Amino acid sequence: MILIHCPYCEEARPEVEFAYGGEAHIARPVDPSTYSDEQWEEFLYIRNNPRGRHHERWRHTHGCGRFFNAVRDTVTDVFETTYKAGEARK
Amino acid sequence: MVEIAEIAVSAAELKLGTEPVQGAGVRLSHAGPRSRYSLRARDAKVLAEVVGRTLPGKIGDQAEGVICLGPDEWYAILAEDTVLPRGEGLPVSVTDVSSRALGLVLEGPAALAVLSSGCPLDLANMGVGRATRTVFETVEIVVWREAEDRWHVEVWRSFATWLWNAFLAAMPGAHG
Repeated sequence: MILIHCPYCEEARPEVEFAYGGEAHIARPVDPSTYSDEQWEEFLYIRNNPRGRHHERWRHTHGCGRFFNAVRDTVTDVFETTYKAGEARK
Repeated sequence: MVEIAEIAVSAAELKLGTEPVQGAGVRLSHAGPRSRYSLRARDAKVLAEVVGRTLPGKIGDQAEGVICLGPDEWYAILAEDTVLPRGEGLPVSVTDVSSRALGLVLEGPAALAVLSSGCPLDLANMGVGRATRTVFETVEIVVWREAEDRWHVEVWRSFATWLWNAFLAAMPGAHG
C-alpha cells in the first residue's frame, strides 16, 4: 500500500485514509457574475492531464480531514512531495 | 450432487454482542456508556477556556480523553454524564455526540494483531496514550491506545455490529 505524507499530521499514512480531490491550484473566479460562458467552461471543466508531474488536491478524509496539495508522478504513482493548502505551488 | 457450504452471512444474522468475549490472548468488550463531544475551533485557546480542559496541540495526541483529531478538531471521550459548557456567542463549536458512537475495547497481547487485521496503520509503533482517526477495512474508527495492550475503538453505532463481528472473526479461539 502507498503511504502518503500528510502535511498536517506530519506522518506517512496509508493511502486508504485519503481521497483524491482533483487538480490543485485552480483559482475560483473573483467576480463570478462577469464570467462569460467560455470562462466558466475553462474554470469548471478544463484540466491538465500531464504525463508525469501532476499537482493535485488530496483530502485526509479518515484522518485529520484536511485538504492539502501533492505533487504526484502520473506514470510511476510516486508522491514527490505534499504541502499544506494555501502554500505556493511546488 | 455436490454439497456447497453456506458461507454468506446476511445482515440479519449479525448480532452485536453484549457480553465480553474471550479469545486466545485477547478480550473484546464494550467500553460502556461515555459522554462524547465533538469540539471545533480555529483558536484552541478560546475553546480550552470554554471547556476548561487541556487541549492537546499535536494531531494524534490525547490528554484525559480529549483527542486532537485535526488542526481545528478535537474529540472528547469523557465519563458518563459529563456536561461541557457550550460557549454560546464565542467562535467555538461544542457538540454533544454521545449517542453517535460506541466504544469497543480490545485488550491482551493478541489485541494488536486483531486490530491490525483490518487497520492499515502501523499500530505497533503507535505510542501509548496516542489516538487517531483511521479505518478498519472500510469503516471509519477512532483508535486510542490506552495502554500497551489495551485499545479503545470508537465506531459509529450503525457500523458497530459489523465491526464487532469483524473483530470476532479475527480473534483466535473466539469462534462460537
